[in-house]
Formats: sequence, structure tokens, C-alpha cells
Amino acid sequence: MKDAITVRNLKKEFKAYSSRSGLKGAFRDLLTRNYKIVPAVNNISFQVKQGEMVGYIGENGAGKSTTIKMLTGILTPTSGEVIVNGMNPHKDREKFVSTIGVVFGQRSQLWWDIAVQESFRLLKKVYKVSDEQYDSHMAHVIRTLDIEPLLDKPVRKLSLGQRMRCELAAALIHNPPLLFLDEPTIGLDVLVKLKIREFLKEINEKYNTTILLTTHDLSDIEALCERVVMLDEGKIIYDGALKSLKEKWGEGKEIEFKFLEEVTLNDLNRITASSEVKWEKDEKEAIFTAFAEDNDELISLLIAKVVADLKVKDINIKETSTEEIIRNIYDRGIS
Amino acid sequence: MFYIAIFFQYVAQYMKTRMQYRADLLVEVFSDLLFQAVNLIFILVVFGHTNLLGGWTRDEIIFIYGFFLVPYALFSSFFNIWDFNERYIVKGELDRILTRPIHSLFQIVLERMELESLFGAVTGIAVMIYAGNNLGLGISWTDPFLFFLFVTGGMLVYGGIFVMIACISFWADARTSIMPMMYNIGNYGRYPVDIYDSVIRFVLTWILPFAFVGIYPASYFLGKEEWFLYSFLTPVIGIVFFGISILTWNSGVKRYRGAGN
Repeated sequence: MKDAITVRNLKKEFKAYSSRSGLKGAFRDLLTRNYKIVPAVNNISFQVKQGEMVGYIGENGAGKSTTIKMLTGILTPTSGEVIVNGMNPHKDREKFVSTIGVVFGQRSQLWWDIAVQESFRLLKKVYKVSDEQYDSHMAHVIRTLDIEPLLDKPVRKLSLGQRMRCELAAALIHNPPLLFLDEPTIGLDVLVKLKIREFLKEINEKYNTTILLTTHDLSDIEALCERVVMLDEGKIIYDGALKSLKEKWGEGKEIEFKFLEEVTLNDLNRITASSEVKWEKDEKEAIFTAFAEDNDELISLLIAKVVADLKVKDINIKETSTEEIIRNIYDRGIS
Repeated sequence: MFYIAIFFQYVAQYMKTRMQYRADLLVEVFSDLLFQAVNLIFILVVFGHTNLLGGWTRDEIIFIYGFFLVPYALFSSFFNIWDFNERYIVKGELDRILTRPIHSLFQIVLERMELESLFGAVTGIAVMIYAGNNLGLGISWTDPFLFFLFVTGGMLVYGGIFVMIACISFWADARTSIMPMMYNIGNYGRYPVDIYDSVIRFVLTWILPFAFVGIYPASYFLGKEEWFLYSFLTPVIGIVFFGISILTWNSGVKRYRGAGN
């Protein structure tokens, strides 16, 4: 299948000026300014296939936005190659941007003072979308995002969640094969988030739309993306399936027990002596936690043993969450 | 063709929005007219003391002022880029502009237009008719065409200069106070350049050619033959300056660094 995005050795450097201290320093700054070259994105390469949904994650300042801006033709790369939809984004910018849709969560595409449908109408002209195309495509978008009642309201009167849904619809007016979403769910409540996720899945299935998503909310990524690209200090530190990220970095399972009777850690250690389990006790709530390897056999055996000997009030099996995994990776660095 | 269609789409949208705020619109038109009245009174006051200024009569100066108002009105309707640095660079609004399939400068022109400034052109023409009447100027059939040509040239001169100044923001992040200064210098173009010394005259002709917005093209209609060559240079200078400004803009956009989130 054709690649929607190909990035090879992409680099973007910014000059960061630093000013000297004091009045004397200020005068010297006038003549020669101190600057360092800071790489925001440092030699990254990756490919995205048509129809893929990819999560692009990283801490603040890791270079996510810079990458997206280069992929959308807003910024010119310092070096390296970017080919998106078969074009060089910043060179053929005006032709290129009509093949992509962009949503920046913190910036509005819509006109502040005019009704949503007027914004849509203007964008429809800007993207040269014919009436038939618009009607067949947008009717569906408007219905799924449930924005029909908002269409005649000016954007400034919409709530954040309402606005975001309209932004999303606006980015899809020309039914682009590739959609960039930069923090699309920032500050939204759970219901709106769910609706947006559902919608993204739907257009991905219906039109085979490629979606590149950056977000701080990992539940978005878990719900949508099979693949994640993880960035740290301008470099890709992980590129692959979300599942194998979990397998590789997950730290086994935690099983929490509450007992009806008085139990000590010693009892538990004795009962499960034959398997490799570590027990911990939360004094306050009398919860005992067993840390075990993520192995179904082992875990069911463990539970069977405990239940056979002791009266159990509650059992809870927890998997390490993606969030925890990612925190671990950033804390320890990949090795 | 596409750009013309889009232009009218934006104009229609602009009008619709403006109609919603009728009071606003009235206030703006009123303050615009007031501003021009003050300028005109200033000229009348100056000529209350003398009837000649460097060989130009009172009515001639008023005529030049009237002419100047027309390209200036067009300029201020379509080139509201005095806050380009703050609005588009610092706030990062240019990001949005750059993700749409229309030339970025054209989009900014469309977004920032203020059509009520066009009333200035009406005032300008009225002033010209008044002064022209006093001077007994006739109108030949070529005059409307040349008027159109000169006015467009004048607007392009103004636009070109201000676009180039806006482009500074692509190279230097610091805010500059050049913009307001330029608005002041621009006003010199509406007085006869031969009342200034030669350095200023040279600057106003070739470096910051504001003279091509007022005095030079207006001289043609006043029948001042010694300035005819300059009058006909107006569209040329307009195209050259505006062309350079677009090239500067295009290379500036490549250097755009974006604003952090």
C-alpha cells in the first residue's frame, strides 16, 4: 500500500538567543548576540501507511508540534526529507494543504463572529468543494458529531466541547485522506471525548482516512491507535504497536485481595511459596497486593491457592496502565 | 479567477457580519469622516494665512489631498497589517493561514479587510470635485481610466511598503515601532514634494515612494506638465514595489518559526 507519510532524517533546528546580564551585557548583545542552536527535532525517520491511525506522543517540548508543523507545511525543515501524500509539504504548500485536514486543539479554524454554517460555507469555497460532495459527505459528519443544533450559532457562543466538534467537522469539509490532530481532546469532558473518538474511528473505517494524533491523554491513543511513535528530546525512542509497548514495558500484574479474616504477610508467603510472587500489605485498608509476572497460568494458580486456604472478600486484578508504562520509560530512559 | 470569487465570498461574509453590529458600523464610519474633516480643516487653516505654498495654490493642494484620500482609502480597507507581528506571528495565527490552500498574504488581506474605510474614497472624490471646480479643471474621456490606473498604482505603493515592513517580523522577533512612523511619513506624500529639500524629495520618490500616492499622480490632473513623467511612473512604481514586497513575503514565510503552544 502507498505510504501517506514518509519522513527521512528529518531535522529542525531553532536558534535560541540568550541575553547577557546587566547593562554592559545588553550593549554587547546589540553587537553580537549569543545564540545556541537547539534541535527541536533531531534526525527522525518514520512511515505511515494510508489508513493507519498513529499516536504521536511525548512530553511537552519533545518536538511533537514541531514535527506536525513540518508535516503540514507550516515550518520548513532544516534538513531531511518529508513526503506527505506524495508531495513536499512546504514546497507545494498551497496544493498540498487541500489534501490534508488539520485540527489544532488550542487554535480555532473557525471565524469567531460568524455562525458555524457560514464558516463551513466559506471553507467549502476555499477548498473548492462541490455542492454534491459537500452535501453527501457533510450531512454524515454533522449527524455523527451531533452539531446540527449548533450550526446557526456564532462560534464565540459555543462551549469548548461544542466548538471542538465543529472544528473537527470544519477540518473534514474537503474530505481529506489525511488528518492531523494536535491535542484534539484537550480540556474536554468524557462524553465529548467518547463522541470524538467514535467519530474518528468511523471516518477511518469509512474513508480509510489516515490519522496522526498527538495528545496528552493516553486513553485517546489506547482507544484509537494501534501504533504509537514516542518522542523524547527530538528523537524517536519507540515506534511500534501499542500492545508490544505494553508487553515490553509492562511490569506484570497486580492482584489485590481483601480477606474476611485476619491474615498476615507470613501466611500468604507460606501459601504461595511455590510460585514467584511478592506480597505487600496496605496497612490502612487491609489490602494485600500480590505482584506477579503477566502469565495467565501463574495468576490463576495463585488465585486458586489463596482462595483454597483463606476466605476472600474481594479480588481485583490490575494491569499496568499505559500511562504508568510511559512514565516509567521517561523516568528511566529507554535502554 | 478563483481568487476573485473567493474575494467576493469574503466581502459578502464581511458585510453580513457588519450588518449584525449596526451601531459599531455607524461609529466607525463617523470617526473615519471626522478624521478626514480634521485633516481638511488643517489645510484650510494653513491657507488661511497664505494663498501660495511653494508655488502651489490653495485649491491645488486641496485637490492633491483629495486625490491622496482615494488610494489611501483602498489601502486602509485591504492592508490592515499594522498588527501583523502581534496577531499572526506572536499569537501563531499564521499557522492556521498556512494550512489553507490560498496564498497567505491574500488570506490576511481578506481576513483583515475593513470596507468602511472605503468611505474615505468618497470623501476624496468629493474634495477633488470641489477643488477642481474652483480651479476650473475639465474632464477628458481618458481621465477616468488614468485615475483608476493611478489610484491602483498608489494603493500598490502603499501596500508594498507596508507589506515589506510587516515582513521584518519574519526575520526579527522583536516588535518594532516602524509601523506608526511609516504612517506619519506616508502623510508627506500628499504635499507637493518641491516644498521639501532634495534629500527628502529623493526619499519620497525612490526609497519610500509615498509621493506616488498623492502629489505625482495628482499633478497630471492639475496639468502640471513638469511632473507628467512621474505621474505615468505611478503604476510602474506600484507594481515594482508591490512585486518586491510579495517576493520578500514569500521568502519570509519560509523562515516562519511558529509560536509555541
